Amino acid sequence: MKKDLQGRIHFKIVFWGPSLSGKTTALRWIYDNVEGLNKGGFTSVADHTGRTLFFDYTPMQATAQVVFDVYTVAGQRRHRGQRKVILTGVDGIIFVADSSPDQMEANIESMAELRSFVEEDLGHSISLVVMLNKQDLPNAMDKAVMLAKLGLGNAPNFTTCALTGENVKRSFRQVTRDILMYHLYPKASATASTS
Amino acid sequence: MSITVRQFDEILSDVIKSEPGIKKTILVDRTGLTIAHVSKFSYYPVDVDGIGAIASAVFCASEEQGKSLDVGDLTIVTSEFGDGKIFAAGAGKGVLCVITDKEVNIGMIRLTMMKAAAELAKVLDEFMAEKPAVAAGKTDAEREELRAALGELEKG
Repeated sequence: MKKDLQGRIHFKIVFWGPSLSGKTTALRWIYDNVEGLNKGGFTSVADHTGRTLFFDYTPMQATAQVVFDVYTVAGQRRHRGQRKVILTGVDGIIFVADSSPDQMEANIESMAELRSFVEEDLGHSISLVVMLNKQDLPNAMDKAVMLAKLGLGNAPNFTTCALTGENVKRSFRQVTRDILMYHLYPKASATASTS
Repeated sequence: MSITVRQFDEILSDVIKSEPGIKKTILVDRTGLTIAHVSKFSYYPVDVDGIGAIASAVFCASEEQGKSLDVGDLTIVTSEFGDGKIFAAGAGKGVLCVITDKEVNIGMIRLTMMKAAAELAKVLDEFMAEKPAVAAGKTDAEREELRAALGELEKG
């Protein structure tokens, strides 16, 4: 949480996950479809095919004084350094897991990297919501199996399809709500997340 | 003493006045949040928040690269384009970004930026000390703002 010179409160949210899991698609869907948020420009550092090279970024205002600065990261393995930079000062993370069975190892690797960067803050001072994306695939992995393999059995989670927007808004609303609740009632949130 | 917009604006305005080719100056923190910005002309249609986020990310990523290569501290990142240049310099907890025309006195820009960066670093330290990143000790007004945001989100 930060305040700018105009006194507005800023929270930083990052969509995290392996390459091609649907992070940019989800953010784009929110940007294009969710009403009630006052959105700024959509900045994207991507290659000519649309794959994120560094990050996507858009500010979204819930009220005149509360702004969510929303980022995605580049998922490919070689962009580890860039991901670490984008994570600086994060308040909430939406982990976008790919439900294709052949991407499970990439999901696990991405989650391990995230944990190595934020350590014990994840799920405590940094809110976490899991999007189990591409659940519309005919061979999508079982939700419970995915969460168990990721060690995320207790994290708030949604089965999503970023292309159609199914449950994407709910995931975003959950993380914004958890961030605000943590900052309004930090002690109660700490008790809830450890119970 | 409370830090005001004017203190940042004055330093950024001095940078603009130092060299005719400078079009815009932006100060961002290292999380990508735009803190202040000043343009030479009142109408300069750019997405400042987006430009600021990129400037901060590029500078911090270059710093990471420098650490990996063990080549010392990063002072300035220069990006040269067909029709202009972008400079970014570390300013303590922030990054000072300067956008210029194609033809500028690079030596002068570097000198001005280093001086301004040192001043901005001091003011930023005071500013960030006044507005701590952690939730402890929120004012009633801040709590009210957060509750209002929560209410808006739950409407949707």
